[in-house]
Amino acid sequence: MTRGLLTTAVGSYPKPDYINRARTQAAQGKMDPSGLRQLERKATAHWVQIQEDLGMDILVDGEMYRGDMVTYFSENMEGFKISGLVRSYGNRYYRKPIAVGPVGRRGAISVEWWQYTQSLTSKPVKAMLTGPYTMSEWSFNEYYPTFEDFVLDMARVVHEEAVELERAGAQYIQIDEPAVSTRPEEMELASRALGVVTRGLNAFTITHMCYGDFALVYDHLINLPVDMLDMEMANSNYSLLDMFRKAALPQDKSLSMGVTDAHSHLVEGVEEIKAGIKRGLELIPPERLYIKPDCGLKTRLEEEAIGKLRNMVQAVRETRRELGIE
Amino acid sequence: MITTVVGNYPKLSTRPQAPSLRRAISQFDTGQITREELSAVANEATREAIREQMEAGVDLVTDGQIRWDDGQTYFAQGIKGFTAGGLLRYFDTNTYFRQPIPQERLEWSGPITMKDFRLAQETSTRPVKPVIIGPFTLGYLSQQGCYHDRATLVLDLAHILNQEALALQEAGATIIQFDEPAILRHKQDFSLLQEASVVVTQGLQLKTAIYTWFRDISDIHRQFFRLPFQVFGLDFIMGKANYDLIRDLPSDRELGAGILDARNTRMETVDELVESIRRISRHVSLDRLYVNPSAGLEFLPRDTAQAKLARLVQGAKKAQEVLK
Repeated sequence: MTRGLLTTAVGSYPKPDYINRARTQAAQGKMDPSGLRQLERKATAHWVQIQEDLGMDILVDGEMYRGDMVTYFSENMEGFKISGLVRSYGNRYYRKPIAVGPVGRRGAISVEWWQYTQSLTSKPVKAMLTGPYTMSEWSFNEYYPTFEDFVLDMARVVHEEAVELERAGAQYIQIDEPAVSTRPEEMELASRALGVVTRGLNAFTITHMCYGDFALVYDHLINLPVDMLDMEMANSNYSLLDMFRKAALPQDKSLSMGVTDAHSHLVEGVEEIKAGIKRGLELIPPERLYIKPDCGLKTRLEEEAIGKLRNMVQAVRETRRELGIE
Repeated sequence: MITTVVGNYPKLSTRPQAPSLRRAISQFDTGQITREELSAVANEATREAIREQMEAGVDLVTDGQIRWDDGQTYFAQGIKGFTAGGLLRYFDTNTYFRQPIPQERLEWSGPITMKDFRLAQETSTRPVKPVIIGPFTLGYLSQQGCYHDRATLVLDLAHILNQEALALQEAGATIIQFDEPAILRHKQDFSLLQEASVVVTQGLQLKTAIYTWFRDISDIHRQFFRLPFQVFGLDFIMGKANYDLIRDLPSDRELGAGILDARNTRMETVDELVESIRRISRHVSLDRLYVNPSAGLEFLPRDTAQAKLARLVQGAKKAQEVLK
């Protein structure tokens, strides 16, 4: 029997309250970093257990140790400082990294977290890195003469981290590029940078993107130098799939398809998710179709996140049974 | 040469003793303080934003748009018939705004910006420039809602915003700015901007400015400079082609030159600013020039915004000496 419809997740899960409290205390100097780390390991183990119990195929660490995806990496790299507060919308503010010198690694950034998570399970654990375009686009740049210089130098750094993850044993490496749809005219640059990251890797490489008018950049999209595209589908009622009707995804590429909306409280029913999976199967065979939530689930309540994952896994089980695949 | 700002200023004070607007909004949202208490904090924040612009040496200030959640929402809340929709990315930035949705035929139900304008006039010892969103941009960043076509929506907004502008003129404004960045993404619809601009400026005797940002005005520049405004605001950071396109600015019109990067913390040198002004002065004489950041300063942290404004003023002074 063929294998197919492997289940996974994008990366983040909701943080337990004790992590949020501990992060605040650590930021105020009221908790030492090792105390926080202990709790982050505990929360990671909690989510690994949940994913195992649900029967997922490729697990993630849930990103318990990250504030946000750009700040986490920039804080652990050379060449960055962190700005004062800037507003995102409404009354929401964040601190934005500033490149003030050549970016570089002081050593491995995320490898230890990957190793720890993998030590908890016999299922493969996916490693997640923030991609060079997103790292640069979501930072200020006081050092590089051009944005392109910034992106390409960042690509070199992300590549080094990916190589080290592969050496540690990671079979799946995901490069998150949510900013890639910001300016369609820069898709070529983003693609080139992604090529620098994945060059020479043997691991199965994935890029995760969200929210954008991808039809404009479809040619670039299907030729991105990765093994798999990871895209949201459920929140647009699978209209993004239409792109793959116009020109097929190349045979050597897979699609990781979002089947549950990461930003809605509503837990989609098993039948609804099965219908979504079938729409994907009309275009892509099961061995090249992976099933996951649209995006990271960190903004959901824990029970909502688990409900969504549970129904997703159940929908995949039933679909596999109907198709006679494992 | 007059130094000015394009609109917004970072909302959160860096002075330790300043009342926290961020905390006040969150307390208001959870019912811990009254609307009046929040308003008092917003007034103080507005006064401080104006004082900082004056300290930096800016000639023509704004109220800092401290009460604006974003460029669209503030007006949509004040115009009868709009409701607030979901969050949308603001052009190619990493900031978001609530998309306004017209539920019924839109109507002006009284001044929206007047209180803030009066507060700014009382606070500032320099002239204050009121800023309102342009009808084309508000129309294109809204959903069509109950309107069957975009043009009717934009023209209704033009009539509404004209009433707002007339009220500001009545209150003593000597210049008013209309924000129309959306035209750079919808150049094919230029004739609608033209029609809306005629409507929105009807009966205005004060000086009028139209500002754009994030791209250049190539392909439409000749018609653009013939719109019924005196001052044309362009972004010279993300729209480098504007350096050449301004050769077609008629000699009786003025330029708002966005030469200071409002989206990056890297500090321009005085010499860089002088060089930008020198390039512009080949086509536009200094007495027809407003110099300002490339967009609103809220993309920057507060301390950087103020330092950059001070640098802009230094650059303009030096240019005045060197280039006269």
